[in-house]
Amino acid sequence: MLDELSRNRARSGFTPSETALSVFSLKEAVYELVTEAADLVPEYLAFSLMIDDLGLRTIETYSAAREQIISDQAASMLELSTPVVRLWDGIIAVPIVGTLDSARTQLVMEKLLETLVATGADHAVIDITGVPTVDTEVAQHLLKTVSAARLLGAECTISGIRPQVAQTIVSLGIEFGDIATKATLADALALALRQAGLKVVQS
Amino acid sequence: MEQVPILKIGQTLFVSIQIDLQDESVLRLQEDLAEELAATSARGVIIDITAVEIVDSFIGRMLAMIGQISRLFDAETVIVGMRPAVAITLTELGLSLSGVRTALNAEKGLAILNGRA
Repeated sequence: MLDELSRNRARSGFTPSETALSVFSLKEAVYELVTEAADLVPEYLAFSLMIDDLGLRTIETYSAAREQIISDQAASMLELSTPVVRLWDGIIAVPIVGTLDSARTQLVMEKLLETLVATGADHAVIDITGVPTVDTEVAQHLLKTVSAARLLGAECTISGIRPQVAQTIVSLGIEFGDIATKATLADALALALRQAGLKVVQS
Repeated sequence: MEQVPILKIGQTLFVSIQIDLQDESVLRLQEDLAEELAATSARGVIIDITAVEIVDSFIGRMLAMIGQISRLFDAETVIVGMRPAVAITLTELGLSLSGVRTALNAEKGLAILNGRA
C-alpha cells in the first residue's frame, strides 16, 4: 500500500521529502499520547524506528518509480527519433537528429534495413544535418550502416554534412571511401534520381 | 549432408539456398558451382539467400570466395534476398563481400546480370 502511495505521489509530482514527511507525521500524533503515560517510552521508540523504516521505503520506491519513468521516456524517444521516410519510388531517407551513439545507430541500421527490404527500395539517403558532432565512433557507425545496406543491394548516400563537421572529419582523418556524400538532402535526392534513371523536368 | 541444387536458366546459374547452411554443404556448393560453370560457360550466378537466417564468418568468406571463383570463369555473382539481420552480422564480422554484387531480390539480381550482358 505504501509503495502504491509513493508511486502515485511520484507521478503527480510530489517531492520525496513531502511523501516521507507525511509518513513521519504519524510519529507526532502518537507522541502526544505517549507524553501522558511515561511507561510507554520503550514501545514508542520501537514504533518510531518502524516509522523511520517506512519513511525510507517511500523514498526508495519514489526513486525506483522515477527511474522507471525516465527509462520509459528514453525508450520512446529512441523510437521517435528514427523515422524512415520515403522520398520517391525506391528512394528512402533517414533524417538523423541528435547525437548518434551505439544503441541509436543499431536502431537506425535495423530500421533502415527493414524498410529497404519491406519497400524494395534500392537507394537510401542518410541525412545528418541534425547531428551536431561527428567523431570517429559516429563515422564508424555510419560506415557500418552503409556497408550493411550495400550487402542488401542498396546504395547509400550521406547528406547534410555541415562545414564544421566536414572540417572535423578531415582533421580526424576519417575516410568515407567510395561512399557518396552530398551537402544537402536535395543534392542526394538528385543523385539518387539520376542513378535510378529518372529525370525531373519543368512542365 | 544436404546438397544445394544448381539450376541453369539461360546463361545464368540459379542457386537457391533453402537449408541451414553447414560448412560441408557450402564447400560442396562451391565445388558443384565451379564444375557447373566450367561445363556450361554461364555468364552469371544468382545466389538466393532469402531463407538463410544465420551466417558465420566461414560462410561469409565462402560466399565471397564463390564470387571470386565465378569471376575466373568470367561470370558475375549476385547475392540476392539477404535479410537485415544477416547483413548486420556480416558487417559486424567485417565482411563486405567485395567482388560480389548484391540485390534486394531475385528480379533485381537478374536485371543486374541482364544489364551487363
